[in-house]
Amino acid sequence: MDNAIYATLTRQAGLRREMQVIANNIANASTDGFQKEGLVFSEYVQRMDDSDLSLSMAHAEGRMIDRAQGQLTRTNGTFDLAIEGDGYFMVEAPNGPELTRAGHFTPNADGELIASDGARLLDIGGAPVFVPPDAMSVGVAADGTLSADGRAITQIGIYMPGDVNEMRRSAGVRFSVDGVVQPLEGARVVQGFIESSNVDPVTEVARMIEVQRAYEQSAKFISNEHDRILSAIDILGR
Amino acid sequence: MRALKIAATGMTAQQTRVEVISNNLANMSTTAYNARRAEFSDLHYQQLAKPGTINASDGTVLPTGVQLGLGVRPTSVSVQLSQGSLTQTNSDLDVAIEGRGYLEITMPDGPASYTRDGSLKRNGEGLIVTADGFAVAPEIVIPEDASSISINADGEVYAYFNDRVEPEVLGQFTLAAFTNERGLEAIGSNLFRETEASGPAVIGDPGTDGLGRLKQGYLEDSSVDAVREVTELIEAQRGYELNAKVITAADQMMAATSQVR
Repeated sequence: MDNAIYATLTRQAGLRREMQVIANNIANASTDGFQKEGLVFSEYVQRMDDSDLSLSMAHAEGRMIDRAQGQLTRTNGTFDLAIEGDGYFMVEAPNGPELTRAGHFTPNADGELIASDGARLLDIGGAPVFVPPDAMSVGVAADGTLSADGRAITQIGIYMPGDVNEMRRSAGVRFSVDGVVQPLEGARVVQGFIESSNVDPVTEVARMIEVQRAYEQSAKFISNEHDRILSAIDILGR
Repeated sequence: MRALKIAATGMTAQQTRVEVISNNLANMSTTAYNARRAEFSDLHYQQLAKPGTINASDGTVLPTGVQLGLGVRPTSVSVQLSQGSLTQTNSDLDVAIEGRGYLEITMPDGPASYTRDGSLKRNGEGLIVTADGFAVAPEIVIPEDASSISINADGEVYAYFNDRVEPEVLGQFTLAAFTNERGLEAIGSNLFRETEASGPAVIGDPGTDGLGRLKQGYLEDSSVDAVREVTELIEAQRGYELNAKVITAADQMMAATSQVR
């Protein structure tokens, strides 16, 4: 095969990946706290032997997390929390602390606030958030201070990674961070609201059509290239 | 084409959402029913290139890496706690709870259950029971010759008689509260059971300790907001269609590949 086909094949492989990213975004269009994913293509340049020519290929090398604010939906739940602006809640996942914006928590039998899979929500000091089981009214202030029956008990931590590029996704709308995570000053928590997914279906469908057509064009190109080589062999072989 | 399978998880999730919505709408006229909402979370992510991986071609370190998600799954169906509006029924034994709290119901088998459905009745022995015939705790017996019953906001129950002026005190309704009402397990017939997640029932008199008050002659409507449910239904239906569209697109991409020759 010649280089034109190789370059086009790398393009197709990248487009299939991008399609998978779009499919995952659309599948999570109703997932609370989900932040949509993008893919970054880079050029992969290879020098051809003993000449100044080079061959350029496309390679899906990086990804980005779109941290735009999702819509806040009122639920009136005491332990439904949404973050306005930047920042993440920290929960204690099996493999260490993880960040999330999915703010639907419930107290367990011990009075600790947990996410739907049992991971405990952590406060500003990294300890589990505890709500007294006999508390009649629980309020959460904008700075994350949690009070039961009017007495401040603890402050729910809102964190931000030092470098957002170090965030890795894990199941359950969460991110694990390899580097430093610091508490975020001036974060705003809203009680009784849940942040919806920030996936915009219109944009995703537009991207999807684009990807699909680009993929079909690449396939057409490979087909034409194939015919071109065939006819070249045909003519030269006469 | 993993996009096919990912979109399929999306369709399944939206289908669950439609099922929850249809149950809400079916219970639009159920006394004291609280609407429920399906919640989702994303699935595992595949690490194609870890952040920090050394790029083979030129030795640079990848800042973000490539991770591809594998779709979505429904994680929980949670109750939306909100007070339904009160409808006047003018029946002596209909009590609505304004605010927090549940009536405790003694079950013939097993642990007590709790309800906010206050359409109470009087059984053959004179006992105050639910519409299904389970006794309300603490037990209150209405005398044969009582002409009318009065229940005040604090839960005190009085009986009036035709041949006397003074009412007779029959007893006192109590209410149960839970730290986490959403953790209650629904067992049908408007009844709930306490679970590990809900915490134990804290019993108190109406109007004390943040508990609600009783309102005789009223019933609490369901808190299902038809407009909201229909908007959710539209969202869920469109979500379903979008995922179906991804399947179509992925299918056509595969077709494009297979038509190369």
